[in-house]
Amino acid sequence: MRVDPYYVTNLVSSLDLTQASEQQLTAELSSGVRINSLSQDPVASGENVLLLNQIQRDDSFTESSSLVQGQLQVADSALGSVVSQLTQAISLATSANNGTLNASDLKSISNQIAGIRDEVTALANTSYQGQYIFAGGQTSTAPFSTSSATSPAVTTYNGDNGVNYLETPNGQSIQLNVPGNQIFQGAGANGVFTALNNLVADYAGGVHTGQAVTDAESLNSSLNFVSQQRVVVDNSLTRLTAASDAITGEQTQLITSQTDLMQADLPTISTQLSLAETQQTALEDVISQLGSTSQSLFSKLQG
Amino acid sequence: MGTINSAFALIAQVLDAEQSGLNVVANNVANANTTGYTREIPNWQQNSSIEINGVSIGQGVSETGATSVRDRVLEERLNQQQQLASASGSRLTALDTLQAVFTPDSGTSTGAAGDIGSDITKFFSSFASLEANPTDNALRQQVLSTATTLAGDVSNAAQAANQQRAAVDQEASGVSSQVNALTSSIAQLNQQIQSASPTGDAGTLEDQRQQDLSQLSQLVGINQITTENNGLTVTTTSGQLLVSEGTSVQMTTGSVGGVTDFFLGATDVTAQLAQGGGELGGLLTARDTDIPTATAALDQLAYSVSTQVNKLNNAGTDQAGDNGNAGDIFSQPAAVAGSAASMSVAMTDPNHIAAAGLGKGTGDNSNAVAMANLGNQAIVSGQSPTDYYSSFVTTLGSTVSNAQTENTAQSASVSQLQSQNDALSAVNLNDEASSMTTLERSYQAASQVFTMLNTMMAASLNLGEQATVA
Repeated sequence: MRVDPYYVTNLVSSLDLTQASEQQLTAELSSGVRINSLSQDPVASGENVLLLNQIQRDDSFTESSSLVQGQLQVADSALGSVVSQLTQAISLATSANNGTLNASDLKSISNQIAGIRDEVTALANTSYQGQYIFAGGQTSTAPFSTSSATSPAVTTYNGDNGVNYLETPNGQSIQLNVPGNQIFQGAGANGVFTALNNLVADYAGGVHTGQAVTDAESLNSSLNFVSQQRVVVDNSLTRLTAASDAITGEQTQLITSQTDLMQADLPTISTQLSLAETQQTALEDVISQLGSTSQSLFSKLQG
Repeated sequence: MGTINSAFALIAQVLDAEQSGLNVVANNVANANTTGYTREIPNWQQNSSIEINGVSIGQGVSETGATSVRDRVLEERLNQQQQLASASGSRLTALDTLQAVFTPDSGTSTGAAGDIGSDITKFFSSFASLEANPTDNALRQQVLSTATTLAGDVSNAAQAANQQRAAVDQEASGVSSQVNALTSSIAQLNQQIQSASPTGDAGTLEDQRQQDLSQLSQLVGINQITTENNGLTVTTTSGQLLVSEGTSVQMTTGSVGGVTDFFLGATDVTAQLAQGGGELGGLLTARDTDIPTATAALDQLAYSVSTQVNKLNNAGTDQAGDNGNAGDIFSQPAAVAGSAASMSVAMTDPNHIAAAGLGKGTGDNSNAVAMANLGNQAIVSGQSPTDYYSSFVTTLGSTVSNAQTENTAQSASVSQLQSQNDALSAVNLNDEASSMTTLERSYQAASQVFTMLNTMMAASLNLGEQATVA
């Protein structure tokens, strides 16, 4: 049987293949990445795009969430101060309504309640990073302003009903703000500012009136309403924290999957590399053996 | 009856024949490393015996020239397989370059550079961040900068694909002149072979023709038909004439629709050549099918994302108070084709990003929510942008991987056929050494016979007497 006399050439091309595979393995080892081009694993490459998409969305939500938590905490503490101010106003009104105070005391209470009204107005105009947080969608202008031109004074709302939601990567919407009119003017037509303005007017004359008792009661119900709205903010904070935790957990899982998918398995690659090296050495030995000893019959011929 | 004289004549002829045989061996050894050389073996022919007085007397041997040892079927089979292997080889090279544009993102910060998948996510995530604080200038700026990165990476990728297509086109057009050189050479050799050896194997001329055919079949897909008097007709695999015995048809090129088309005579054979195999077939497949497919996918992505984002931006209210006319974020592409290469960001002022719902206050974020949600909606050919890009990546990767597998299999088959052919036709030095030894021994034997005859002749001349003739 005749054989291919160029078998050493074929061995050299095997040597080339071995070296190519060593090169590939070395590239994987040095970069730590299993897939350096799409064709190495097309399905994993596609999967990788989807996983990275989710990871990055989760990442971005976690960032937004911490930003928004700041805003919600500011809203919460502002409403907390509003509640304590209003409680103080109610106790002032209660003491004024028990009939024992003289005219100048009543006037002083009127002034104190006016002070509380201004304080509550300031709190209702709280801003976070330059944006008024109780203004609905009109966050660039202060939502509440009081005009003392009439008696009782009139506090008007300049914001709107806009409510913003933050969408989590899982699609739930978390409420980010409560519009000022809902908090401070929500309990019927009266609301916090109407009640406060009325009380200021009631005591300003220095005489006891029956109206003052009704206004004090309506302030009390407004206070309860503010507390209820504060719960909405607290709920959002809780949901946001929970969502953020869940997303962080999910992200960790996803990163693990992505790492499994894309990262090089070092022990396996090292083993493959060492096998390839062994093969290369063997091939080189064979080639050099054949090269030196496989001279043709010509070398044995006697001249 | 034979005589010593006739024996002398016979043995002298044998010495000539052996020398002639040794000449063939020497020629084989000399050409052991010549590409395309086919091993030759000497032809021995017994001279016809003559009959004298009813006795048949042998007349020795003649060496009647060398015959090349070749298997035409095997050679043609090898050529066919080379067509396939070089087609998938050149296609694979083009695809490899193409897929390098879309290196997968490893997930590390450095790996993300230039990855369109990450760019898409970051762009839509920037709207999700804007939900948290729709009036924040930094977040708005972020939207524009991610948009710029996305547009830049998409247009870079599309331009790289276009440039690569141009490079492949140029490479393909260079092939035609090589084809022409080979076909004229084959036509010329056909003429020589037809006049020199119309019946038998033409030896070296045939080797040259085979070598040319082998090179030609690596360039384009060919069929060969042997014609009378050892001539050859070569056509492309789809049947267009390249060489007809002594004449060759020149392949010409011309620019059609921005790319090079190939003509044989007046016929545009580009589409057939793309199917036909050979390096040209592979290059044309990459140029006319693979690269345009990738570019079209990018165009669709760029067009849909630009159009949908612009549409939504014009359906909200921006920071400057524009209701429903906030302007385009991306330059609005006129048509799907070419939109990837020209993708760019048109907006310069981040205040024109319409984060608020139509007619709502600037602190509203409902339009930002809607834009962030675009990233998950089926806006590109029935898929979300990320899903679309993911399937694009998978499709491209599979195409390359298929071409690799195909090429590996075909190359293996080529080297197997090559081995078979070499086993038959290549010069094996051991074989040559052994035939040389055999011929040398025969030559020595013949010389010995000559010497013996000489002694016998001397003896017969001297007739038993001690004399001067030795």
